[in-house]
Amino acid sequence: MTKLPKCEDKKLGLLIDLDTCVGCHGCVVSCKEWNSSGGEKQLSDINSHQKDPVGTFLNRVHSYERENSCTNETETFYFPRSCLHCEDAPCVTVCPTGASYKREEDGIVLVNEDDCMGCGLCAWACPYGARELDLVSGVMKKCTLCVDRIYSEDLSPEDRVPVCVKSCPTGARAFGDFNDPNSDVSKKVKERGGVDLMPEMQTKPVNKYLLPRIKSKDFVGSVGSVVEEETDATGLLGWVDRALSKF
Amino acid sequence: MHPAPSIILFTVLSGFGFGIISIVGLLQFLNQISTVDIVIFSGVGLFFSIIGLISSFFHLANKKNAIKSMSQWQTSWLSREAISSIFCLSIVVGNIGWVFVRDRYISEVGIILFLLSSFTIFTTSMIYAQLKTIPSWNNMLTPAIFIFAALAGGSILLMDYASLVLLLIFGVFQVLFWHTADQSFIYKETSIGTALGFSKNEDIRSFDVAHTSRNYLLNEMVYKVARKHAIKIRYISFFSAFVLPMSLILIFPGNFSVSILVIGSHLVGVYFSRWLFFAEAKHSVSFYYN
Repeated sequence: MTKLPKCEDKKLGLLIDLDTCVGCHGCVVSCKEWNSSGGEKQLSDINSHQKDPVGTFLNRVHSYERENSCTNETETFYFPRSCLHCEDAPCVTVCPTGASYKREEDGIVLVNEDDCMGCGLCAWACPYGARELDLVSGVMKKCTLCVDRIYSEDLSPEDRVPVCVKSCPTGARAFGDFNDPNSDVSKKVKERGGVDLMPEMQTKPVNKYLLPRIKSKDFVGSVGSVVEEETDATGLLGWVDRALSKF
Repeated sequence: MHPAPSIILFTVLSGFGFGIISIVGLLQFLNQISTVDIVIFSGVGLFFSIIGLISSFFHLANKKNAIKSMSQWQTSWLSREAISSIFCLSIVVGNIGWVFVRDRYISEVGIILFLLSSFTIFTTSMIYAQLKTIPSWNNMLTPAIFIFAALAGGSILLMDYASLVLLLIFGVFQVLFWHTADQSFIYKETSIGTALGFSKNEDIRSFDVAHTSRNYLLNEMVYKVARKHAIKIRYISFFSAFVLPMSLILIFPGNFSVSILVIGSHLVGVYFSRWLFFAEAKHSVSFYYN
């Protein structure tokens, strides 16, 4: 079971656009909500309203600042981190009980909670910190790519996407088949150069990220000069400028 | 990585137990051991390996599924470890029974015990050595320190000068391991840049943590140990695991009560070494929290 399948048919995953993400944590909240309302299987919280709360999440949003070497300015961006449903998923092969598995039909990496013994080795094997052990149920939790939504006959077709994609207010998250070159996500990856996280770990992530567009020196320089040029204004604005300059 | 006492005790004690079993097996194969000693020392080895395995059981968050860990031997080193240890311990029990009842032994069983028991220690080490996420573990020095720590510990009561050689080999591998773990090239490819999809030398910092308090990832995989304390603990470990045992063996060769002291000192040293093995290991997820 922990042998990795080929997944020649479909490779479902997420495309996350860091240029669009505003770091609102909407995906985090909706993910927690969806994955905690399914009866027995909860993402637990401990001390949720007291000191030192600890909780299980399948998705976290980090905040970074980056030095733009062209403009010497600092730029900020937000980074949602969750399971990448890797083709060579090390979390699956290390599992001793067979609880961790990768689906052959669509490549989704899942945990069968009835088999998990909570040893935590899969979380150690994942380079991305995509797995969290639930301290109440004692089993490993991870992103399911909302496998209970995307194939659900009870939901209307437009809702058959992971809840993080559905809830993202800026459309920074897209869901699709990365094995199909004509899918929207594949086209966007090609067009804007989608990247892998830590490619050196040789996990071959299915999920791809679109990096923030880098602001050019000309553009950043022009922002300052626009303001200065206002002093040369003529007409009414010129009169206001001259009038204000007297004080 | 979080230095959990249950895992440290597991690797130290089960390693020591399987080390004794390996040495008993080797001596049995070479016809260099009495039947009484086979029964006594196999019993001691059995005791420590079982204590170690019980300790690892306490690390599990969902103990009722522990039996299922024997199912995935095709891909999982942890599964291989579970199967190999149970298989090895069964043969030890069988061997003790045979020797106890017949008062003689089959020397060929000795080589099977030696190989199987050493393989079990190897599988334990591979649980850690297989992880690409932790480069300081992801090399063959990890199996080397696990196997020679176990064999050296196991040989103290059973061998005289041969145990000095094993201790020396362990000491050399241990120093090499620390030296390698300290090298800056250990994370030669990964950085916060590659973790976020940029190039390696990208200048990126976290300006706000992703959550309001600690979580499983930070508790388990982002453990910080003060460098100056780590160096001191290395000295303590080195002294009690190698220097004191080797000196005592040289000064009091073949003295049984001194041997007990030697083992105590050696195990304390190996415990500190294993504590550092975990505490100093840097996991790639820590880049996201830089």
